[in-house]
Amino acid sequence: MFDFLKKKLNEVVKKVTDKVAPKEKEKKPKPKKEEKKETFTTKIVKAFTEINVSPEKVDEIFQEIEIDLLEADVAVEAIDKIKEDLKKEIVGKSIKKSELEKHIKNVFKKTLNEMLDVPKIDLMKKLEKKPTLFVFLGFNGSGKTTTMAKIAYWLQSKKLSCVFAAGDSFRAASIEQLEEHGKKLNVNVIKHQYGADPAAVIFDAVKYAQAKKIDVVLADTAGRTHTNKNLMDQLEKIVRVNKPDLKILVIDSMTGNDIINQCRMFDQAVGVDALVLTKTDVSNKGGSILSAAYVLKKPILFLGTGQSYKDLHEYNPKEIAEKLI
Amino acid sequence: MLDFGKKITELISKALGRSTVDRETVESIIKGLQRILLQSDVDVKLVYELSNKIRDRCFKEKVQEGLTLREHVTKVIYEELVNLLGREKAGLKAKNRIMLLGLYGVGKTTTCGKLVKYFQKHGSKPALIACDYHRPAATEQLRQIAEKLNVPIHIDESKNPFNAVENGLKRFAKNDVIIIDTAGRDALDKELSDELKKIGKIAKPDEVLLVIPADLGRTAGQQAAEFNKLVGITGVIVTKMDGTAKGGAALSSCYATGANVKFIGVGEKLEQLEEYDPVRFVSRMLGMGDLEALMEKVKEAELDEDDAKRIMSGKFTLKDFYDQIAGIQKMGPLSGIVEMIPGFSSALPEDLVNIQEAKLKKFKYIIDSMTEQERNEPEIVNSSRIKRIAKGAGVSEKDVRELLKQYDLTKKVIKKVGGTASIKRGQLAKLAKKFGLKF
Repeated sequence: MFDFLKKKLNEVVKKVTDKVAPKEKEKKPKPKKEEKKETFTTKIVKAFTEINVSPEKVDEIFQEIEIDLLEADVAVEAIDKIKEDLKKEIVGKSIKKSELEKHIKNVFKKTLNEMLDVPKIDLMKKLEKKPTLFVFLGFNGSGKTTTMAKIAYWLQSKKLSCVFAAGDSFRAASIEQLEEHGKKLNVNVIKHQYGADPAAVIFDAVKYAQAKKIDVVLADTAGRTHTNKNLMDQLEKIVRVNKPDLKILVIDSMTGNDIINQCRMFDQAVGVDALVLTKTDVSNKGGSILSAAYVLKKPILFLGTGQSYKDLHEYNPKEIAEKLI
Repeated sequence: MLDFGKKITELISKALGRSTVDRETVESIIKGLQRILLQSDVDVKLVYELSNKIRDRCFKEKVQEGLTLREHVTKVIYEELVNLLGREKAGLKAKNRIMLLGLYGVGKTTTCGKLVKYFQKHGSKPALIACDYHRPAATEQLRQIAEKLNVPIHIDESKNPFNAVENGLKRFAKNDVIIIDTAGRDALDKELSDELKKIGKIAKPDEVLLVIPADLGRTAGQQAAEFNKLVGITGVIVTKMDGTAKGGAALSSCYATGANVKFIGVGEKLEQLEEYDPVRFVSRMLGMGDLEALMEKVKEAELDEDDAKRIMSGKFTLKDFYDQIAGIQKMGPLSGIVEMIPGFSSALPEDLVNIQEAKLKKFKYIIDSMTEQERNEPEIVNSSRIKRIAKGAGVSEKDVRELLKQYDLTKKVIKKVGGTASIKRGQLAKLAKKFGLKF
């Protein structure tokens, strides 16, 4: 799923290396005078085997590689971070030419590791509280309901019981969609009619879970545009009334630069505790993960990787960074 | 997003502000433009193609009469952007069979409902065929929408999309518009793409519309190309335009398929579907409503030569001041426009530049409440007149005094500008044009 980003990143490393040390200058010039050989050659050798990069040079290099990164859906803010790091690590430093590529690769690796490194949540510990309430929120069509079903399946594999709260009372057939998942997974759905107050639906689901000793309540919400004030207020009410243990933002990994706006505005409105990135099997660009991880610095619980219930992978930043460079 | 608007405004004002427009200026504008477009998720190839066109036209094309080279550059950039997005408003004439397709969660089913509503408004009798038997309750969603809109829908009981199309088409032979909803799919997934191909063969649609969300990233181009290979795309619908995303992906999709955008979805309600208007789309994508206004002004701003001469010679009345304010209000938000005008933002006193739109409205009421004589000779306005005017306009006396102060300042600036410039025909017109733009 990261093929494209990987390809672009490697191109970028190569470009930086080539730009910093153009290849044609590799021939060693012959020293003219024998007697000065010692110091002179040492100097020359040093000049051609060690490289000192100016900040201007880095800027020039970056104009080019920026486009490569943008092509991979890495958001501009994340690109700025990469740039910053690269600058710090190569400007004004003498680096042996033979080690240049390795050095730049290492800089990138370190940067990616830092960017992908998000705080972790001990999910199992969170789940010790009975019942635990997870609320799923996000933009329209990001995959909230499907993700919920997948997480129910995952919880069942951990021998935990759950109940669905049909908090999306707006979109046509959203309740039926959840009910079909419920039927397949053998999970009950707590619902009201369409147009009902989602905060109340979720409240009822929690009460139900308490009464029936169910471990986890998974609450769906309607997809919403982060710019719609009324809907964001509704979300705020859901949170205020029900005090969820985790507010999980579901983000479509195919989202472009807007991913940053979406993450930020949901976070500002209600506070996001964790992320799930969906549809990573379709998006081969992969840059969105980098952007989301870096910008929001929130725990990423899972990546959605396909259509069936088992297609849910735990987020492993090290593995991703390794794969990329 | 506002950032982008500011950036592009800065870019253009750079071009307008320099005394000469050279290759370097144009290159720097193009570079900036590239970055903005890439940030809006526009395909990289497309961005380069656009840059080349702009470059070519800026240097090779003859400058249109009446325009300065700077204005020419602005015009080229704007026109190329609009060109890229299709020239005309594009709706959809009643076509018999319309098929919608796209990735997961892009809004296909909702858009089906919106299209039904659109055709109903245009006097057609649409019907729906449900072909998404993959996503749980997708058919139920479409059924609920159909019920709401009171249109017939065909759902295959055996959950077979092919039978659904075949029987649905037979059943709706008398309906003038049939809209077919399909399952969301990854165009590269073999099984799903085969299914779509087969549906396409049975349905023989007149229009195949690809649904793309505004926030989609660069996956768009590749997916659109694949979909096009499978069934041939005739148009694009961009959904979720009510968020902060700029819809650059839609451009890439159009580019990859050769199809035009037909509609944009601007909300979750069924009537929130708009016929696509390229000019507004560019404005939205680049946040440059200002630029549009600027272009209009470039065309319109030929201030009457007599007026210009009179103003420059120092006869600047409150009535002129009023006209300028009215002009600004017609143009919309003030912010951004000021910076576009080279030389002017620095020549004007700070607080005049920062006049809020609300305040401008107040000024307008005040001037409306004055007598003709007061407008022409503001000097005669004394404190008792101020009292009367304030009452008439429903503002405080302080507001009236402020207006008079602003007028005085502006008049001084104009005198200065007019005085230092040699009153040659061309230059005067240019100054007036600048003035018309700013104010």
